Amino acid sequence: MQEMDLYRHTDTVNELLARYGVKFGIYKNNEFKEQLFPFDAIPRVIEAEEFTYLEKGLKQRVMALNLFIKDIYSEKKIIRDKIVPEEFIYASSGYLAQCEGVMPPKGVYAHIAGIDLVQGKDKEWYILEDNLRVPSGASYPMIARELCRRSSPLTFQQTHIADNRNYAELLRRTMDYVNTGDHTVILTPGRYNSAYFEHSYLAEKTGAHLVTGSELLVENDHLYFIDYSGRKEPVGAVYRRISDEYLDPMNFYEGSLIGIPHLYDIFRKGNVALLNAPGNGVADDKGIYYFVPKMIKYYLGEEPILHNAPTYLPLYKEDMDYVLEHFDDLVLKDVAEAGGYGVQFGNKMTKQEKEDFIALLKREPRRFIAQEVIDFLDIDIFENGECVPRKADLRAFVLMADEPLVWKSGLTRFSRNPDSFIVNSSQGGGFKDTWVLSQ
Amino acid sequence: MKDLLFEYDMHLDFAPPVEEHRFTLKCIPLTDERQLINRLDVEIYPKEFLSTDKDSFGNYSIYGYTKGQHDRFFARVRGQARTGLAPYLTAKEEHQVGLFKYQTDYTRPGPAILKFAEQFESAAEKYRKSGDENQTRFPEREIISTGSATAIFDFAITLMHGLYENFSYVQGVTDVRTTAEEAMALGKGVCQDYSHILLSLCRIWKIPCRYVVGMLIGEGLSHAWVEVCSGGRWYALDPTNNLIVDDQHIKISAGRDYHDCIVSQGVFVGRTTQTQTVAVRVKEMNP
Repeated sequence: MQEMDLYRHTDTVNELLARYGVKFGIYKNNEFKEQLFPFDAIPRVIEAEEFTYLEKGLKQRVMALNLFIKDIYSEKKIIRDKIVPEEFIYASSGYLAQCEGVMPPKGVYAHIAGIDLVQGKDKEWYILEDNLRVPSGASYPMIARELCRRSSPLTFQQTHIADNRNYAELLRRTMDYVNTGDHTVILTPGRYNSAYFEHSYLAEKTGAHLVTGSELLVENDHLYFIDYSGRKEPVGAVYRRISDEYLDPMNFYEGSLIGIPHLYDIFRKGNVALLNAPGNGVADDKGIYYFVPKMIKYYLGEEPILHNAPTYLPLYKEDMDYVLEHFDDLVLKDVAEAGGYGVQFGNKMTKQEKEDFIALLKREPRRFIAQEVIDFLDIDIFENGECVPRKADLRAFVLMADEPLVWKSGLTRFSRNPDSFIVNSSQGGGFKDTWVLSQ
Repeated sequence: MKDLLFEYDMHLDFAPPVEEHRFTLKCIPLTDERQLINRLDVEIYPKEFLSTDKDSFGNYSIYGYTKGQHDRFFARVRGQARTGLAPYLTAKEEHQVGLFKYQTDYTRPGPAILKFAEQFESAAEKYRKSGDENQTRFPEREIISTGSATAIFDFAITLMHGLYENFSYVQGVTDVRTTAEEAMALGKGVCQDYSHILLSLCRIWKIPCRYVVGMLIGEGLSHAWVEVCSGGRWYALDPTNNLIVDDQHIKISAGRDYHDCIVSQGVFVGRTTQTQTVAVRVKEMNP
């Protein structure tokens, strides 16, 4: 009953989201466009017991990924013990040699992880990918929940839903844990970034300063924030929402105008925390994904709780044979692409496309992974007054403070196109709130 | 063994002046198993804030910041070095040097290098590792010496000789952005190009190897050469002069390619034209 009350308010919530500027920008054909991120009021509901299981699996995965990154940039035991072939590390675009031997404050690399999962028709959850660089999306269910509570308070009084408005608290705890002793800032590339709404919203909710690169400077081996009156305030933690390459023109891409020169030098000295640490891309590479279950066994001595989607690496001969034989049943992903780009389904290609693709695959086998197409459990959305089933995934947020913390919510993204499996917001998808029941 | 006096001067002139200048310099030679740096005198102008550190490759870096307007910037390094103390450097364990086996944007081979590499295929055969399960999984041309500790080094010398015969030293036809493949197609270039091509060739056979920047006896600019890891040791080869590095070279830095060893890097505010002048002098103390 109460849920129906909530659904009636879908349009109101969407109008409010638009008014609050909940948008994301995308570049298409060299043009910057802002799009609304359509909200669907039917929540994804996860039972308390089921979430406890997810939580255990997510913590385990993110702990192993952190240990992996630390190992890769220091001892490299996992290479020595031939668990992960070195080829996968050094040929990955996410591996940054500049990070060799650099230990971030408290040894944490992936402070904020966005882990994408899907639920199959068999009710089993599968990990689709790990995002350990600058995962975005937490702000959308945060603000949606806030607006829903306002438009339909009864729903939230009568259903036992874990409150998701504590994300800011979890984030603060994570930032404070590694802070080297001064102010905390959120570094944004600026308002043309696709996730600018999120940057400003998280700054407002955590109380951190929202800054751009031009407001930060390195002096005497310390980082300072120049406030509106021109005063220099020392900074101890930077939740940076710009990618590794652009972070510091003296250590990464020289052409970067949005970075802070020498930021990485003082990070190397332990004088500031960067969340997430640069170099994490080595662990969320689509090729490395294949090895995550092996990492969990290797570093933690435990069996993986959550499973990967069945994945093949064409680089291995036996996997290549399998991929060629079952081409039509598989989805092929370019390991260098993100945001739903570079994803192709074997059975959707024309004969010519297939031939071209196979030629490319044989030429550059390391560039692709192949996965079984998971039979997603559809979830309902409201469209033109009726419920229709759509594909959806779940981005869970795992924060690494003094202990791993899993946010009792998440971003559920769905595909608006009934035939599409791709749910990324840059491909026109929408989102839902994710309710974790508290009992 | 030699006792050398070295001078390294780098001047930048800006017209009109610049401000908010941030710089990183990697121009200081360090003591290691092969060389002993005795006296070191470093002068940098202008500087308001200066700091030092070692980068991820162990290279000594000086970085700093000059806020006010200035139309020139210089770094002057003076010192004494005892060179040729050992024939090689001890390398880290094999799994720790893997990153030097992989091509970079500067060394990635194209048709010119791959074609040139064909003639060494039979020489490489001698060193090929056999019976390894990885061999079937990765159809690479990986060689790992099964015989003597210097097997890889010997093969690298073969590559160096082959390159020297087929490449000409010509200044002014390439620049700091030229890749190994571009230089190979051109057939001529300078020490940076020789070094990048040798790295590219070594890496085709998955030999760990690195780019080295340093100074060479005589007068001129800074020099570049290559180190190859063989049997747990880094051996140095100078492909421009077709020789095994002995006591005429002073090493400053090493990395995967030129980019990891840039001697002087900076960002500043100002619409300016900058002119860089580098002068290096290395001479024997008691010849």
